[in-house]
Amino acid sequence: MTGKLFAENEAEALEQLHAQGLTDGLPVVIPTDERVARMVLATGQAAELTLGDMGPAGGSATIEKIAVAAVMAGCLPDHMPVVIAAIEAILNPAFDLTEMQATTHCTAPLILVNGPARAACGGIASGFGALGPGFRANASIGRAVRLAMMNIGGARPGISDMALLGHPGKFSYCLAEDEASSPFEPLHVSRGFSAEDSVVTVVGAEAPHSVMYSGDADAGDDHERLLNVLAIGLANLATNNAALTGGAAVVVLNPEHACILAGAGLARADICAALYDRCVHTTEALAAVNPGFAGRLKPGAVRHCFKEPSQILVLVAGGSGLYSMVMPSWCAGGHRNEAVSQAIVLDLFCEIPVQTDTNGVV
Amino acid sequence: MRDGIEAAKQGLPALALVTDAFWPQGDFVAESFGMPDLPRLQLPHPIAGTGQARMQAVAEDLVDDMIKALSA
Repeated sequence: MTGKLFAENEAEALEQLHAQGLTDGLPVVIPTDERVARMVLATGQAAELTLGDMGPAGGSATIEKIAVAAVMAGCLPDHMPVVIAAIEAILNPAFDLTEMQATTHCTAPLILVNGPARAACGGIASGFGALGPGFRANASIGRAVRLAMMNIGGARPGISDMALLGHPGKFSYCLAEDEASSPFEPLHVSRGFSAEDSVVTVVGAEAPHSVMYSGDADAGDDHERLLNVLAIGLANLATNNAALTGGAAVVVLNPEHACILAGAGLARADICAALYDRCVHTTEALAAVNPGFAGRLKPGAVRHCFKEPSQILVLVAGGSGLYSMVMPSWCAGGHRNEAVSQAIVLDLFCEIPVQTDTNGVV
Repeated sequence: MRDGIEAAKQGLPALALVTDAFWPQGDFVAESFGMPDLPRLQLPHPIAGTGQARMQAVAEDLVDDMIKALSA
């Protein structure tokens, strides 16, 4: 059973939650017994079922505690399958959550959604501004995961979450792939799932970095120029990917840029391979900026930023235009903060009646 | 802290060196991993990148306390 607070009214309850450091600094929906019970009911799973212990505090991630975070975040019951799958994914040991929560680096789990859940779980946005404000499912799902990381995992800024500055994606960082606009197979299919599966993929990611490229259909090397500039953003010498190597990273192609690459006959795997080849630095270049991370290399040697092309996750989202996005990563932890994909289970979840308050007002 | 905790769990003498900026995190981790009393010594922050002479001076200031803690 989750510990309880008592208050005279919701305004007082909100102040208690803020005062105890249980919010992300923004107002939350008060997780009353009834609201939490309804959210648990919607999952079709037992309140006390635990998905695992969440570091660094080691709190037990029960369905009830996750429901508390989801209520506070403003989730609808429809969002819960994605929230639960995302929590399962970040609890996978390969994700190194305990260490990631404690790092001084500015990283947050980027939650990528593929498959039918994009529509079935509240309509997760993938187009213009999908990572910005205005999309309830994106905002609430990502926020629920963050509140769970804080209140179950115990991440507290400057005490247990030592991110030196953090980034805005630590409030919420969730989007779907725009599968309809993508010329490629969906991301989750490239990671071994079927197109009919619903899947969440989590990646410990920095905030989005903009990559500007103006296409030129008359240029024979249009796609090469685009790949070159994406690689510069993805693993430039200032990134952990260049200095530490071996971690995942994300490329979010806008549909226009995706078409430039597809038009040149490139499939997703070809793009990943081309970026892998381009994300490489010489010893001299590394030593010039961070000699402590280049010291073991021989003069003239080069170092790839990724272990293999599949560490670069390429997806299609956002509006069409000049800008794609790249998200470099932390690249540390025992498993290098590996990207993890987790199937979203939709058939356990139950529709529940619309909630009314005591006056019968929806 | 985690290294110190792991060493202590194996029965080895352990002492965590924690800079003052990370002292609260040290307390949190020690508590979370069930070793709130794990011995630790406070270092000034920062240490990394402050140069060999500075690090040598910090080490000399602490070495007696380190030996004492590990011998207790």
